[in-house]
Amino acid sequence: MLVDDYFPVAMFALVALLIPAVAIIMGKLFRPTKQAEMRNTTYECGERPIGVAQIQFHVQFYIYAIIFVAFDILTVFLIVWAMAFDGLSDIANIAAITFLVILLAGVYYSLKKERILWI
Amino acid sequence: MSNLYIELTNFTEWLLGLVAALLDWTKLGFLSDFGDWLQTAPVVDFVSTLLVAVIFLITAMMFGLCFIWQERKTLGRFMDRRGTQVGFLGFFQNFADGIKVILKEHIVPKDSDHLLFELAIFAYLASTFMLFGCIPYSDNFYVIDVDLAVLLGIAIFAFGPFSILIGGWSSNNKFTLIGGMRAAAQLIALEIPLLLCIVSVAVLTGDLSFVGVVTWQEENIWLIVPLCIGALTFFIAAIGESERIPFDLPEAEAELVEGWATEYGDVRWGLQMASDYFRAYILCGLFTMLFLGGWAGPEFIWAEAWYLSKTFIVFFFFIWVRAATVRIRTDQILKLGWRRLLPLAVVNLLIAVALKVAGVF
Repeated sequence: MLVDDYFPVAMFALVALLIPAVAIIMGKLFRPTKQAEMRNTTYECGERPIGVAQIQFHVQFYIYAIIFVAFDILTVFLIVWAMAFDGLSDIANIAAITFLVILLAGVYYSLKKERILWI
Repeated sequence: MSNLYIELTNFTEWLLGLVAALLDWTKLGFLSDFGDWLQTAPVVDFVSTLLVAVIFLITAMMFGLCFIWQERKTLGRFMDRRGTQVGFLGFFQNFADGIKVILKEHIVPKDSDHLLFELAIFAYLASTFMLFGCIPYSDNFYVIDVDLAVLLGIAIFAFGPFSILIGGWSSNNKFTLIGGMRAAAQLIALEIPLLLCIVSVAVLTGDLSFVGVVTWQEENIWLIVPLCIGALTFFIAAIGESERIPFDLPEAEAELVEGWATEYGDVRWGLQMASDYFRAYILCGLFTMLFLGGWAGPEFIWAEAWYLSKTFIVFFFFIWVRAATVRIRTDQILKLGWRRLLPLAVVNLLIAVALKVAGVF
């Protein structure tokens, strides 16, 4: 059963969530809590902070992330293909390789257009 | 079922039976009913799985701390000094650091996004601890053994850049923002070759559970021999994914203070620092499992010892790379990831397909 298989995963996730929570609460018990005006300012090597840091990212970062998402999905499809490799016909394998080649061509193109598309 | 599960199920049955007997002894009706309920199968299952998870996590954390110790000592020898000397062979340095870190103040910068600031580090730490469960030590000592264990591990690993970016953004600090963006760009550039190497392993073994992969390697050959290009690619990408020295730009102590974690103090920072090593430990474990035959080896020592010693040897090479190379720039890392490692990973995948089609394995 799928539920039986993944039950330890859920339990381990629970324990993994508990460990940092316990550590943070432990810290709360031991550490000093003194508040000071300057201490809560943003750390900039002792200077008074100038402006805010939550600026807008460059649009190239967005394009870069999209290329990554395309490739991440490609690898997931390839894993499905690799798991079923034994039972597949030649045509299916050729189709999978073609799929890989098309995406590689996309990456090659975006690397060519590095000035425009890349970070 | 593994030995660990069987032992702990027996122990839990004994323990809950003891509790039920105690409750029965009070001669209160509802307490006896509660005792009976404690001995039903779902409760026993729940408690024993919880115990397995806790024991496994603590064991894995201890070995993760051993990695920090190994790095300090080995790096010391590389630099012609002795390394840390606190306690027996310097082994208590980590505990001293832990106590120090727990006594430190917690400062939330007043300009930051308070909720996201707390949640991001929490997600990072929890996903790191979650990763421990994905790697078994042997076919007798594991928590999670599902059909897609390798994919599950990589999926949890991919949670890292996400929380790093949120953490860097929410701190509202220039250093953390630059560190977070660098980390996200670098981690996703190196993740693709990592995944493609795993695909090549899946082509040859036809299995993505660690037990399946290791059994295949026991029967045939360690995968580092046919897939040596893939092993090299995986090794370089793993160093980058764990943000270690040639690729440590997200942290970049020389220019970015402490990278995306600059604003974190107290035990959060301590655990973040430790989880860098924990992630390196996970990647060394993955390398051992996928390419070095996992716990396979002659039977004069335990299977777990084989797995751990191979992992420590892989980590020794990590330290060697750290001691021998210089740091490189962000754009060089991205170029290395997309223009060198990605083609190498594809070539490795084609080699794996060719070996499979030619019927070698």
